[in-house]
Amino acid sequence: MNIWQRLRNLDRRIIFILMALGVGLPLLKNIGLPVRVTHDVSSVFNYIDKLNEGDALLLSYDHDTGTLPEMVPMSTAILRHAFSKNLRLIGMALRAEGSAIGRQAFRRVGKEFNKEEGVDYVFLGYRPEITATILGMGTSIERVFPKDDRGVLVGDIPLMQTVHNYGDIAFAISVSDDDTPVYWINYGNARYQLKFAPAVTAVMATTFFPFLNSGQIVGMVAGLKGAAEYERLIGRKEMASRGMDAQSIAHLVVIGFILVGNLAYFATRKRNQP
Amino acid sequence: MSGDLGIWLAAFLTLAIYSFLYRDNPVYRFAESLLIGVSVGFLLVVAFDTTILPKALEPIAAQIRYVSSNGASGIPMLIWVIIPVVLGLFMFARFVPGWAWLSRIALALYIGFGAGVSIPANMQSYILKQIEGTIRPFLEIHSAWDIFSALFILVGLIAVIGYFFFSKAHTGNFGRLARLGTWFLMVFFGATFGYTVMARISLLIGRLQFLLGDWLGLIS
Repeated sequence: MNIWQRLRNLDRRIIFILMALGVGLPLLKNIGLPVRVTHDVSSVFNYIDKLNEGDALLLSYDHDTGTLPEMVPMSTAILRHAFSKNLRLIGMALRAEGSAIGRQAFRRVGKEFNKEEGVDYVFLGYRPEITATILGMGTSIERVFPKDDRGVLVGDIPLMQTVHNYGDIAFAISVSDDDTPVYWINYGNARYQLKFAPAVTAVMATTFFPFLNSGQIVGMVAGLKGAAEYERLIGRKEMASRGMDAQSIAHLVVIGFILVGNLAYFATRKRNQP
Repeated sequence: MSGDLGIWLAAFLTLAIYSFLYRDNPVYRFAESLLIGVSVGFLLVVAFDTTILPKALEPIAAQIRYVSSNGASGIPMLIWVIIPVVLGLFMFARFVPGWAWLSRIALALYIGFGAGVSIPANMQSYILKQIEGTIRPFLEIHSAWDIFSALFILVGLIAVIGYFFFSKAHTGNFGRLARLGTWFLMVFFGATFGYTVMARISLLIGRLQFLLGDWLGLIS
């Protein structure tokens, strides 16, 4: 068995080890590879940046725990940007697990900026049935969420005194790992002209490119790379930026395996031909 | 290295899941079952706490209290609150063979609402706005690149629609158009696959950041 045949029959566990090294070593030793900011991400950043102090920003946590490594860095970066601009933040979730993640993120980042719950931000909690929730909030947020996730009546929360429906919300973002932002586009944007942007996992990115082209969404933050771009824009390189070194090296490992696999295939195919 | 028991537990479960990469084993199956159980349990508790309790049980209890203290004037409102709950319960009638037909009433209402709301919205988002998005670039041309870009999108749209038009044989010029459509589709699939690889590696990065940083303390 020559080298090409050995490579064709390579134990998959060797590939796993090399991939783990490709990801793990750049995490231990920071390389600092450059991250170019794309137009899609800068559009979201610029839109938030141009909002006035006190404008309301809605952040919906529409994802489960399985995609935390992509979702947390992007939502943290957006929250930091919004809190630094003194925007009023309204959080909610259209996934049950998203409610726990969102609540934690709001309180953690709110604490960093000395923000007060109920005055500077509020987390409304989870509602099932995406369509009815998004449509209902267009008429009355209080009717859909009578209480916030602490059990306080929404009517008694100072922040919510001037926020009744989408007409009082300057911008909305859905942090999602599936096609939930399509519902926001269909019902929030198309029906109520809600200014909206999805912050999605990389897997979902191509789903939303047509909406970018048609101007239905302001911009898009996609995957760990999108989060790293946002971190760069707010001048605070953290988890995502560090992860991008590992991402780049891992991609080189994948490309290397594809090349070697194809070379091995063609080399052995030639030999096997009569 | 972390002294937090929760982090040690999370690290153990992470490694238990990754142990499947070596081979299937009881530790992996335990971690997988635990994940499913916890997820379902969490969903049930949250659904009860945020939906069943405030949207069904509390309003019914409040109306019953109102009727008992104020008399029959509160009965119409009580009925108004009970109807959606009863329709919701009809869904469970599917489990009782003799009463299964009741679920059709609730389903009919649900499907009717869904179709009525989603058809115009989808028409607006997926057809009208997309047609607008294809035509509008021709009205905003400032450079040669804009012309190329607008034409590229238009040609791509027509070619892909051509590929999915099956009432005419894909031969001759139409066949060439459909073939061009497949090239556009291949680019889309390639981009989607690339993004998928990126997403999966991101998940690995997240876990290794946890193991090397939060657990072992090797990342500053």
